[in-house]
Amino acid sequence: MSAVPNTARLTTGRDTGPVVSARDLRAWYRLSMFGVVREVKAVDGVSFEIRSDEIYGLAGESSSGKSTLVKTIAGAIRPPLEIVGGEIAFNFMAGTDGLHRASGEVAGQVRWRHLSYVMQGSMSVLNPVRRVRASFADFAFRHMGLDRAGFEAAVVSHLARVNLEASVLDAYPHELSGGMRQRVTIALATICRPNFVIADEPTTALDVVVQKEVLGMFRGIQREMGSSVLFVTHDMGVHAHLTDRLGIMYAGRLVEEARTRDLFARPRHPYTRHLIESLPRIGDDKLRRGLEGSPPSLADPPDGCRFHPRCSFATERCRREVPAMTPVGLDHRVACFERDRVEASQ
Amino acid sequence: MTQALLELATVSKTFSRGGFLSRERVEAVVDVSFRLDGDRAEIFSIIGESGSGKSTIARMILALQAPTAGHVRFRGRDLAELRAEDERTAFMAAVQPVFQNPFEAFNPLKRMDRYLFMTCRRFTGLHDEAEIHAAADAALQQVGLTLAEIRGRYPHELSGGQLQRVAIARALASNPSLLVADEPVSMVDASLRASIVALFRKLCDELGLSIVYITHDLATAYSISDRIIIMQKGRMVESGDARTVLADPKHPYSRKLKESVLEPLAPGETPMFAR
Ligand SMILES: Nc1ncnc2c1ncn2[C@@H]1O[C@H](COP(=O)(O)OP(=O)(O)OP(=O)(O)O)[C@@H](O)[C@H]1O
Ligand SMILES: Nc1ncnc2c1ncn2[C@@H]1O[C@H](COP(=O)(O)OP(=O)(O)OP(=O)(O)O)[C@@H](O)[C@H]1O
Ligand SMILES: [Mg+2]
Ligand SMILES: [Mg+2]
Repeated sequence: MSAVPNTARLTTGRDTGPVVSARDLRAWYRLSMFGVVREVKAVDGVSFEIRSDEIYGLAGESSSGKSTLVKTIAGAIRPPLEIVGGEIAFNFMAGTDGLHRASGEVAGQVRWRHLSYVMQGSMSVLNPVRRVRASFADFAFRHMGLDRAGFEAAVVSHLARVNLEASVLDAYPHELSGGMRQRVTIALATICRPNFVIADEPTTALDVVVQKEVLGMFRGIQREMGSSVLFVTHDMGVHAHLTDRLGIMYAGRLVEEARTRDLFARPRHPYTRHLIESLPRIGDDKLRRGLEGSPPSLADPPDGCRFHPRCSFATERCRREVPAMTPVGLDHRVACFERDRVEASQ
Repeated sequence: MTQALLELATVSKTFSRGGFLSRERVEAVVDVSFRLDGDRAEIFSIIGESGSGKSTIARMILALQAPTAGHVRFRGRDLAELRAEDERTAFMAAVQPVFQNPFEAFNPLKRMDRYLFMTCRRFTGLHDEAEIHAAADAALQQVGLTLAEIRGRYPHELSGGQLQRVAIARALASNPSLLVADEPVSMVDASLRASIVALFRKLCDELGLSIVYITHDLATAYSISDRIIIMQKGRMVESGDARTVLADPKHPYSRKLKESVLEPLAPGETPMFAR
């Protein structure tokens, strides 16, 4: 057997440090189109960590790089995506190169048991020509250490937690509704109780009643195992009720991060503030206005603060200099030169 | 009574699900009837339980699936009788879909701009390449994108929200009279979502586009719809004027649905799923 590369060894025992910490992560898509090379800087200098025993939320503008950040952490890097710089360290693995450089063997051991990943919109883990039962058998059986009957019982009771009946096991994926398929993938990703679950928009196809059960399940297994969850959603109501800390992305960068409650109560970044204010509520007679101007191109982002062209607080400095993430309180960081004016103006 | 644009008359759909030994009958849609007026465009929303038959209704309106019982009529014509090629093409130009999950709806090997060009070429009568590109770009700009941004890109090369917006732009490119939009903005942030549903309202009011809007988002359903139906287990459990129904739902399931909407915390409130 060949030796496992030094940078990607599974550590023994449980480490209580952050489950993952990323330093100055840069992940770009390098495209060559019509003879011109374009770099889409979807993740461009992100540093953050996810602690063990927490649910970390991620929100931000559409196409700001959330899924790319999540893919990078999950090690799901495929060309034209490249990690251009930075480090990723996990507490269940030695080294700072992240998962994408790990050997197939290590990656195989890590998947499902240590880390599982629910991709946005993709049901690709479900084999279209096999019944749902077969997907559970393929991915989860060997990690669970149960006999056939015990395994079936465990699967059925886990499905019940996301409000699915046992009969879905006999169905083919295309015979299920969008929300039922989405719940099957969530159940698959969580049944082995991995210590780190990454879920990218996992509840977009669920009605709010079922969504509540599914969120309860995420918190439930997180609490049972003291594990960690990275939860991406546009739904700020979900963040308010589920996530412990919340990071906000804008144009490839993290622009603010705080305990979820503090972020809602005292947002310091103008984009975060806009996001919270644009929350629609039932009973609003007027439609809320969208943000003026269009999202910046990640191939040719504006200089300085990337939000400045759309920001009513922007000054000359914002057009020139890049604001760094700066601590402004316990667990609260923001990348904005005008943070005090933003706060004073609410 | 003037001719209806769309009419569902006691429509039911039964599937059999699972394999050969474990076959199960699923009553996906049971006795659903509603009608959209021919001379006044409206936004008609369908909300309800996951698995309650909403997408099945959408597929039947689009003539992609036939009802097990009952009739779906578009401008008085039963969809079961649409056979001739030119009749089907006219129907497809008039009734356009936005499918629920754009990651599953598009062929991964086909460039997104091709979908737009094809729709423009097929349904708008444009032939000139430059005109087709201009029409595609105009459709994309309505949803905050440009042709330059998506040129040459495959579905998996776009973000969830970008993909959903291309799907909407594509559907609008043929100037349909009915849009069947199944969760069209579920992956879009609140700010963009507000602009897109405002666009729906505007197209309805100004261009007479009728929209069947399927959504889990009660707030946008409230803000843009004229009428609404609420589905549970294949049945319509409540229907009526959208604002009246959502302000004061009567059926127990509708009430539960409204109560389950998660909103940001009021001061002093504890999160529902706190650590
Ligand atoms: N395979 C790819 N090749 C080229 N560009 C890509 C690819 N995948 C994503 N992108 C681009 O990278 C940027 C960030 O995309 P990403 O999917 O990370 O956004 P997101 O924040 O998850 O958005 P959403 O909320 O809409 O899902 C977008 O501009 C997108 O078009
Ligand atoms: N091709 C099919 N074969 C068998 N059963 C099917 C098929 N398509 C749908 N069903 C079943 O019909 C029911 C309704 O599905 P449908 O997709 O219409 O629900 P939905 O209301 O759109 O749900 P969601 O909100 O989760 O998208 C489900 O129980 C589903 O399993
Ligand atoms: Mg995404
Ligand atoms: Mg559906």
